Amino acid sequence: MSNGSPTQGITTRTYKPGSIVYFENDKSENIYILKSGLIILTSQKLETGEEVKEEVRPGEFFGVKSALGRYPREETAQVIKESVVLVLTLADFERLILKNVNVVLKMLRIFSNQLRRIGRAVREVLGETSTINPEEELFKIGEYYYRAGRFNQARYAYNKYLDYYPNAKYSDLATKRIREIDSGQAESNIAPQPVKRKEVEPSTEELKDFTLDEDIDSMPANESVVDEMDDFLGENDSASSDFDIADESPKHEDISSMFYDAMSLYSQSEYESALQIYKKILNQKSLKNDAENKIYQKAHFEIGRTYFKMGQYNEAIEAFSLLMKKFPQSELNVNALYHLAMIYEVKKQFDKAKSYYQKVISLAAKEEIGKQASRRLKNLESR
Amino acid sequence: MLLDEKLFDKFGVEYEPNDIIFCEFEPGNDFYFIQSGRVEIVKIINNREKTLDILGPGDVFGEMAILEEEPRSASAIAIEHVKLLRFRRENFDALLQGNPQLAYKLLVIFSKRIYDAKRRLMILLLDDPQLKVMDVMNMLAEQDPHLDVQEPVTLRVTVQEIANWAGMQINDVQKILTHLNKLGKIELFNDRVVVRNIRDFQRLVNSRRKSMYA
Repeated sequence: MSNGSPTQGITTRTYKPGSIVYFENDKSENIYILKSGLIILTSQKLETGEEVKEEVRPGEFFGVKSALGRYPREETAQVIKESVVLVLTLADFERLILKNVNVVLKMLRIFSNQLRRIGRAVREVLGETSTINPEEELFKIGEYYYRAGRFNQARYAYNKYLDYYPNAKYSDLATKRIREIDSGQAESNIAPQPVKRKEVEPSTEELKDFTLDEDIDSMPANESVVDEMDDFLGENDSASSDFDIADESPKHEDISSMFYDAMSLYSQSEYESALQIYKKILNQKSLKNDAENKIYQKAHFEIGRTYFKMGQYNEAIEAFSLLMKKFPQSELNVNALYHLAMIYEVKKQFDKAKSYYQKVISLAAKEEIGKQASRRLKNLESR
Repeated sequence: MLLDEKLFDKFGVEYEPNDIIFCEFEPGNDFYFIQSGRVEIVKIINNREKTLDILGPGDVFGEMAILEEEPRSASAIAIEHVKLLRFRRENFDALLQGNPQLAYKLLVIFSKRIYDAKRRLMILLLDDPQLKVMDVMNMLAEQDPHLDVQEPVTLRVTVQEIANWAGMQINDVQKILTHLNKLGKIELFNDRVVVRNIRDFQRLVNSRRKSMYA
């Protein structure tokens, strides 16, 4: 048995029956080819713990996946008949298979079948098999980008939705949304917010590992604690919180998800229900951070906008005024002023309408909303 | 690794900044190879867009489409002007025949994916929520091969992420973490968890795993 140098050339080893090439959980970047003899790989089925034995035949590779993926061996390789094994480093392996693409193709097919099987098992354990409806989810992606003011991305999702589901539940709404985006109406439909892309999180290794994660909250938590667990954890099992991650009161609801629920109701013209949620947000006593504070402000604006849509103008005026009073510096105020102007226009109080349009223009002359205000102002003045 | 320029004439596509290349939940038929520019892989989780990865020249994405037409599990968005090669499932074999380097790359990607998925399944199959949470920490510790398990181990992870891995409700995870914190087993911060003795967690999870199969 020679060990050879790890980077230079392929080495050959001879193993006696009963010996082990590697154990489960060993870490190594070697890949093996069985030249002659017989080797058995023994692993355990994850779901049942059942032992699985697999024969390696002369000419076959083993130890490939764990070496390539750089993770511990998942099986034990035991020699049954005297065997001659070629030992390859990753670099050797790469050189070798680049000349034999058919081998790679064969491996890829085996790997992809395994991946599919594991993916299915994961979804099964999570009870996800039937819950996700890709049609609805695709539409929701469009809605997300629409609400975020990222209209190009929203349009892409709506268009794809219509391509794949031309006559489905949300087809009409998707068509309507695209029209709103193309006509520029979408801009005034949503509260103005900077349309810039969010900051990109650093691309660290651990982020990479979340590519497979799903947004799951359907697993019922099992309360059982094994004996040794008790031993380990001690007897006091109260979960009172005295440190930062857990110190939100149980009543504190997730403001951002409430907000988006309400937006979604609004987009489906369910104004009453949307209002109820927005008002609940206004009743939140504690705001955890800046992001929540922003949503809290937006909820004020949205209440005004929802009343406006419902034609309840006095309530709308009240809501917009409250926003401006509580948050004199809010960037939403321009849009609130614009809405106030529209309300007074509808109420035929043209002087008031004009003065509000003028305020909008003075605050945002170069922005789309300022331009719209001056168009409307011109209209009013030419009456 | 850069592929033959000639391929670009046949398979090349270009995108402008912020263009969606494909969208989460859209059926997937193509996979992509980046010639130039960067692409962001994002997923909308709890109404927030989360960046899963940022890819650059030489990287491959959308490779799950090789298996079968399944809805995309994330969206790919161009960060800047991007040149890509787009391949359909049908001409996959021909492509790889001509580009063994790409084939090798895919082999590595699939190996990692399989392991990650298996490791996650192992966590999910545990029947005790506290052990699931501990095993998420074990898994994170395993990802750093240079970690000294004799010492307290710092894991960059949030409660939400642990909940995702473990397939549990965030509140339940929080309770467990609070409890472990109180017992002095871990120390909690907003963006990280420090585990005093990760070998304890490994021992507990391993012995449970053995007894599950007994």
